[in-house]
Amino acid sequence: MTRLVALDPARHHAVHVDPVAGAAVRQFCQIGLSEIALAAADMPLFLVKDAQTGRFNLIALFGLIEPRNLFWYNDAMQLTYLPRAASLTAFRLDAGGAAGLALDEADAAVGTRGQALFAADRSPAPFLATTRDALNAVVADVAAAQALVDGYAQQRLIRPLSLVLRHADGHEHAIGGLYGLDEDALASLDDATVVAMHRADRLAPAAVIAASHAQVERLRQLHNAAGLRAIEAFTLTLAE
Amino acid sequence: MQKQQQTDSIPGIIRTIVVVGGGSAGWIAANRLAAKGARGSDDIVVKLVESATVPTIGVGEGTWPTMRNTLAKIGIGETEFLRSCDAAFKQGARFVGWKDGSPRDAYYHPLNPPAGAADLNLSPHWQQALADTPDRDFADWADFQQALCDAGLAPKTITAPEFGGVANYAYHLDAGKFATLLHDHAVDRLGVEHVVGDVTNVVMADNGDIASLELADGRSIAGDLFIDCTGFAALLIGKVYGVPFRPCNDVLFADRAIAMQVPYLTEDAPITSHTVSTASDAGWFWDIGLWARRGTGYVYSSAHIDDDAAEAALRAYVGPQAEQLSTRRITIEAGHRERFWEKNCVAVGLSAGFLEPLEASALMLVEASMDAIADRLPRTRSAMDVAARQFNDSFRHHWDRIIEFLKLHYAITKRTDTAFWRDNAAPESIPDSLKERLELWRQHPPAPQDFAHAREVFSWPSYQYVLHGMGFETQYPVVPATSPDAALARRWIGRMERMRGDAVAQMPRHRTLLRAIREHGLQAV
Repeated sequence: MTRLVALDPARHHAVHVDPVAGAAVRQFCQIGLSEIALAAADMPLFLVKDAQTGRFNLIALFGLIEPRNLFWYNDAMQLTYLPRAASLTAFRLDAGGAAGLALDEADAAVGTRGQALFAADRSPAPFLATTRDALNAVVADVAAAQALVDGYAQQRLIRPLSLVLRHADGHEHAIGGLYGLDEDALASLDDATVVAMHRADRLAPAAVIAASHAQVERLRQLHNAAGLRAIEAFTLTLAE
Repeated sequence: MQKQQQTDSIPGIIRTIVVVGGGSAGWIAANRLAAKGARGSDDIVVKLVESATVPTIGVGEGTWPTMRNTLAKIGIGETEFLRSCDAAFKQGARFVGWKDGSPRDAYYHPLNPPAGAADLNLSPHWQQALADTPDRDFADWADFQQALCDAGLAPKTITAPEFGGVANYAYHLDAGKFATLLHDHAVDRLGVEHVVGDVTNVVMADNGDIASLELADGRSIAGDLFIDCTGFAALLIGKVYGVPFRPCNDVLFADRAIAMQVPYLTEDAPITSHTVSTASDAGWFWDIGLWARRGTGYVYSSAHIDDDAAEAALRAYVGPQAEQLSTRRITIEAGHRERFWEKNCVAVGLSAGFLEPLEASALMLVEASMDAIADRLPRTRSAMDVAARQFNDSFRHHWDRIIEFLKLHYAITKRTDTAFWRDNAAPESIPDSLKERLELWRQHPPAPQDFAHAREVFSWPSYQYVLHGMGFETQYPVVPATSPDAALARRWIGRMERMRGDAVAQMPRHRTLLRAIREHGLQAV
């Protein structure tokens, strides 16, 4: 649940935001075009459908079964790169709010720890301007990723995936709603299309996204290391 | 080139197929054949000859779920189809006033089969459930789709892939726009040659086949197979081959229709996701929801009401809004050809026959015909006679079954308020085969064994919905509550009720989904 409110010094002058605390409870987040290679070094990248538009969003997956970020342990993010949107979950762009922002009061990042939003005189803290700029950059970068993915969709390169996790007792847990790139379809593209995609910087991201699926094993290891109900094995296949 | 030489060397190879007529039937036929050719069959050339002066009838605004397969086979995406044809989703039909004409008289024939239809027959269990809930509809008890229709909800969400949904569905569409989309797709993407011209003469070969068509401008269009989609004119199957027409107006009395297009009063008006068929004194009103308007009409028997009175009745049904709206009158010659495939000519669409649109069978029959023709296209002339015999046997059966199923809606009515309904229930108007089945179905629920074909156009669940919806009195054997069959039924009903809860909670309003699809599109997967 979200509780979005235009940022208001009168209402939020005492509120603090701890970006990492917000990221620590995220199971996934959208990533931008520029983040694909960076995020793929740590986590699997998938496509999921937006509930309002049905369009594919490019996400990085942080957790498997429980709604949590498996990279957060020992009170720190144990990864090489945290996608920017994960640290900005408490905010939205809102021209009607202070510093051009709205606050999700229900977000885990919001509380009494971390960055103060307003100074003692209730003027916006510099942190807010930085946040707004970061949000603008993320929005543009995510839009670029979405354009990339729209192209894959038009080329019929996207297929539904079936991710099934198996516990030691044989119980299986299926994670639905994930989509990936069909490597056979990629391999079947004609030469002219391959060259055109390469020139448009759309071929390498496809390979990186497809290769990132190997990181599900990393998530499985982190999941088991966290003392959660152990996942013995998983299968990740293109669904029929 | 090697392939060309190979096929050229085969005597009587079917290479050129000529579709005559450019309505929905003609363009569906051309698309299906050309799409098959595009998938690598023997180099098929498809030509469609269309008169510039003969208007299309434009019937068939309701479809069956089969249309999803047809669109997929010819390569038209669901998003493109919905946007281009002002189409909306159809989840079944609601029949109002057919049972006894009382104020609460209504039942659904949803497109979902009853829960667990592949596992068990719910009819006897429903008969027993009635003891606890006498007013419960069979359709609502056995399936969740009625709940979606009643709530004005769609059968799918924006995240569902094209042609996939939570509930089974078909479409309501604008027939004129559909023909335009099919034309553009066939010509621009599938390479169909569109020939505009009036056929003035048909040149016959020595073996009785059609050799070519001569057009008014002097052109000659030769072909190996001709698809007659010339509508009621039946230019080839009727005028050339003289295949007799078998009327069925002694069973189905409706011989007229008046259509009226009704705009929505507001941009956000709800769009009904089912056909509403409302019984009236001498026939019934149809009412379907499209994106930008409703399609309404009155199907009636001219022996029971005159045209002007029928139009007045339709205007009264639509209400004050009808004052500014025009109507279009259509004559229905209920029946079909004795044979549909003669020599090298197949009739598809209205040239093959026509029935009142009570269960939207017109476009479905076009699709079924083209499935049979395109998917089993005779490779050579020598194979064509066998294909024709199979086709004729199969489609005579289909037409008889459809006539019987439509008659079922009338035959078991308890209405006696007008001559139309009394005449419809008269035993002499009911086919013997239907009488036999009705006798059987008093003691035994409809089942697959009641029908000759494994793939009936109306399968046994459709009969369940209509029989039970119409309140047909049954005396099925009692199923002991402790029997495995009863336990299985409880499991299926329990599962279906959970699905109902989920579907009602998750499905968007019909117009909301259509708007989202028009704005964002559906994904292919």
